[in-house]
Order: sequence, then structure tokens, then C-alpha cells
Amino acid sequence: MTAAIEIAGLSKIYTKRNGPAVVAVDNLSLSIPAGQIFGFLGSNGAGKTTTIKMACGLVLPTSGSVQLNGHDVQRQRGQAMRQIGAVLEGTRNVYWRMTAWQNLLYFGRIKGVTGKPLKERAERLLTELDLWERRNDPVRDFSRGMQQKVAIACALVADPPIVLLDEPTLGLDVQAGRTVKRWVEQLARQEGKTVVLTTHQMDLAESLCDRVAIMSQGTLVTNRPTGELLGLFRQEGYELRFRGYVDEAVVARFDGFAAREENGHTILSGTISEHDKLYRLIELAEMQGLELLGVAQAEPNLEEIFVELLDRAGQGKHKPDQRSNGRVPHNALREVI
Amino acid sequence: MALAGTVVLNEIQKRIILVWGYKFNFFTQMFMIGFIFVGISFFMAGGQPDPQMLASGLVGYLVWFFAMAAISDMSWGIREETQTGTLEQMYMSPLPTGVLMLGRSVASLCISIVLVGISAVVLILVLGISLPVTLAALPVFLLTMAGLYGFAFILGGATLVFKQVEALANLMQNALLFLNGALLPVDRLPGWMEAFAKTLPTTQGIIVLRQVILDGQSLAQSWQDGSLVGLVVNSTIYFVVGWFFFRWCENRARTMGALGQY
Repeated sequence: MTAAIEIAGLSKIYTKRNGPAVVAVDNLSLSIPAGQIFGFLGSNGAGKTTTIKMACGLVLPTSGSVQLNGHDVQRQRGQAMRQIGAVLEGTRNVYWRMTAWQNLLYFGRIKGVTGKPLKERAERLLTELDLWERRNDPVRDFSRGMQQKVAIACALVADPPIVLLDEPTLGLDVQAGRTVKRWVEQLARQEGKTVVLTTHQMDLAESLCDRVAIMSQGTLVTNRPTGELLGLFRQEGYELRFRGYVDEAVVARFDGFAAREENGHTILSGTISEHDKLYRLIELAEMQGLELLGVAQAEPNLEEIFVELLDRAGQGKHKPDQRSNGRVPHNALREVI
Repeated sequence: MALAGTVVLNEIQKRIILVWGYKFNFFTQMFMIGFIFVGISFFMAGGQPDPQMLASGLVGYLVWFFAMAAISDMSWGIREETQTGTLEQMYMSPLPTGVLMLGRSVASLCISIVLVGISAVVLILVLGISLPVTLAALPVFLLTMAGLYGFAFILGGATLVFKQVEALANLMQNALLFLNGALLPVDRLPGWMEAFAKTLPTTQGIIVLRQVILDGQSLAQSWQDGSLVGLVVNSTIYFVVGWFFFRWCENRARTMGALGQY
């Protein structure tokens, strides 16, 4: 599959005259396939926004390169910028004193689109986003959700094949968040655009993204198709259900397992990387006189995986393998599980 | 050329919309231009200004007001756009950023011409000032503005990197008012101060504008006496230095990741 965004050996080190150098992004290599929704996740300060801004040409990398549909952001800036539209987090992105229509025409022109094609595109975008009726109202009079929709429309006014959305649903109410989500899906599924999404909302990433990458301290912790990542943890997460209350001292014998009570039963959940271990645990349960009601594979969600992976990365147990395109090698992951 | 035209028109349109959005501020500024000029003129003439002196003062004062607007647009204006994120959006344009920045400057100048022009006409009519309109003043005015915007680019670049440059911008606005000959011809300043004043942007422009508008001197005469040559050299240096300094600051801001910081 063709890569829409190709990041190679990208690093950003901020140096201060009287302070230590800060490594915001550390030798990041990443390939984002075209036509997919790509979730870029990580805690605050993980390096996501710096990476996005380097892809937008707003921050110069210390080393490495970013290519957008084959155009180098530094060397072929003009062509590279024609490939992207971006909504950056934490700012308005548009002129609030101007109307939605005026904003779209202004940003369209500075992105090199003029005349009839620009007006037709602007009309289509505003109609699709249910803003057409209010196109002549100043953006400052809009709700937060509507303002965000105008910002997204401005990012898309030149019809770029790649869209970078930094926290697009931040601060939106449920309804506005759903509209943005539906629209992001439409961009990728119907219009074939590549959408890169940074978000702290794991449920959003899980439901929308074809692929997720998780960053921690400037490095890539994982980069996998969402289903594969969830499946990996599903394979190794187990729940053992026992009748009645299980004493804490007994629970302690199930190394690495956590206990919770549910409908008078005790559920021990944890990860099992080898089948032998499962059998050993069943034997252990019998020896302790516990009545085993069932064994089930746990259904993980992206939030749990995110926390788990970041914990490991933060504790230094796990070193991401940049050589394998930033992906966590399967065996390495099994080892830490 | 068509691209540059589109960019300039786009910026002018945006500025008109934004200025009109702050109508009250716009009209207050116009009133202020007139009010301050009248106040200063009466004060300096001991309450009895003569029209000839007012004409000379008005030329210098209006040029100073252009300087105020240029400095304001390139320092506060850039800072505000950094805060709203629209500056970053501009830098994501596939068009050359140099063309976009020049487009913004031309748009800023056009709006200032309207603002200052209306105020000037009102002052001329109310105070009975005689200010002959001469075509020869146009290239001199444009040369003066080129140097002025070069200077404004220096402050704009500093804004991108250092963010808080309001104090410097204020200092420069006031220094220009007192030292560029707007209120008092620079040849009446002490020698060292005169020499310094002549290195500032707009000083030489005001001298040549007065020669051309008030003394009826031709451009050839101004060239021969060296004043127009001085303006060309001064404006070229300011524009070239300002431009390259601004581009250097852009690069620095990108390296520091400061384009969107405020």
C-alpha cells in the first residue's frame, strides 16, 4: 500500500541557552498508509504535536525527513503543502470576526484555489457540515462545535488528500463530537483521504482508526492496525471466574492477577503468555479448593492497552524497535506480557 | 504576477472585513489622528499656528502615522495572529511565504492610506491648510513606505522569535515621532542627534516629501542635491535588511517551534 506520509529518522531537540536540551521526538520512523484513519496517541508531551507540526512545515526537524505523498516538506514545501490541510489544537485556526463563508474564501485563496472552483467547494463543505444557512454569520457567534466545523472546512477547502486533525473533538459537546466523528469517517471511507488524528479519547480512536501509533517520550511504542493491537492483548488477557469469595492470600498466589467481585463470584484477571501457565493456574486453583466456573479471554479496550504500553515504556521495560518501522516486535511484546 | 495580485486582493479584503468589524476603533483612530495633530500644532506654536507651518507639520505627522500603523500591524498584528493560530495556517500555504508577507504589507499600507487620507482631508479642510497635490510625491511616498515596512519587518521578525516586543515597538513609535523630523525639522537638532535621526526610516522621506510638495522642487533637483539619493539608499538598506532579518527570524521561530507559541 502506498504511504501518504513517510517519516524517516525524524528527531527534534529543543536546545536552551541555560537549560538542558529537550528531546521532543527521537529518531521516529513511521509510514502512514493512504486512505486510512490513523490514530496518533500519547500522553501530553509525548511528541505528537511536534511531529504533526514538523509534517506541516511549522517546526524544523533537527534531523530526518517527512514526505507527504512523495514530496519532502523541507525541500519541496509548495508541493508538500498542497497535500495537507490541518486543524491544530489549542487555537482558533480561523478569523472569528469573519463569517464562515469569508473564512473559507480567504483560506482557499492562500492555499492557491480561486474563482468558481473555490466557491463551489466552499458551498459544498458548508452544506455538508450544516453551516450553509449560517454562512454569513461571524464565526464568533457560533457554538464551539460550529467553530470547529468551520476550522475543519477551512483545512479542507483546497481538497487536500491528507488531513491532520489535532484533537478535533476537544471541548465539543456530545452531538458536535459525533458530527465531527461522522465526518472524519466520511473523509476516509467515501473520499479516500488519509486522516491523521491525535486524540486523548481512546474510545474515539478505537472506533474510528484503522491503525494506531502510540508515542511516549518522543519515541514510538507501537504502530499497528487497531484490530491487530486489540487482538494481541485479547489473546493474552484471561479471566478466571471462581464461585464465592477468594481470600487475598490465595489471590496473591496467582502472580500478576487482579481480583474483583461480581455477582457473588470472584474474577481473577491477568495475562497469560503460554498455555502451560494456564494449566498450572487451573491446577493451583484445584489445590486451593476453589471452584472454577469458567475461563474466558478478556476483551481489552484501547484505553487499557494505551495505559499498559505507556506504563511499560515509562518503566523502561520496553524499548521500541525503530528498525522495524517503529512496531513493537510480537515476541518482544509477549516477553513483557 | 496574477498570484501576487490575488494574494494582495485577498489580504486587502480580509483587512477591510476585520477593520469594519472594529468600526468604533477605526473611527476613533481617525479622530485621534486629527486631534493629536491639532493639539501638538497649537502647543508648539504657542496657540497661534500659521497655515504654512501646519502644512510642513502635517506632512511629517502623516508619515509618522503611517509608521505607527506599519509597526502596529507587523508587531501586534503578528502576535495576535500567533495567538489565534491563523499565522500557522498562513505558513501552511503552498504559496511562498515571502509573497504572502508582502501581500499583507501592501494590504496594511492600503488600509493606512484610507485611514490617514480621510483624516488628512478633514484636517486640510478644517484648518485651511494648503497642501498641493503633486505626482512627484508618489514615488517619494512609495520609497519612504518601502523603508518603513523594511523597518516594520525587523519588529515583525522580532515578534516571531521573542513574542513580547511591545515595549520596543512603543519606543520606536515614539522615537520616530520626535526624531524623524515630523514635528521639528532635523536640521534644528544638535549635530549628533541630527546624524542619528537621518539614519532612521521616514526621516529622509519626510525631508524629500516637503521639498517636493511644499517647495515645489522637482525629483531631478532632489536627486541633484543628494536628498533623494539619501532616501533611496536609506529605504533600500532598511527594506533589504528588514526582509532578510524577517526571513531569518521565521527560520529561527520554526527551529524553536515558536511559530504558534505566544
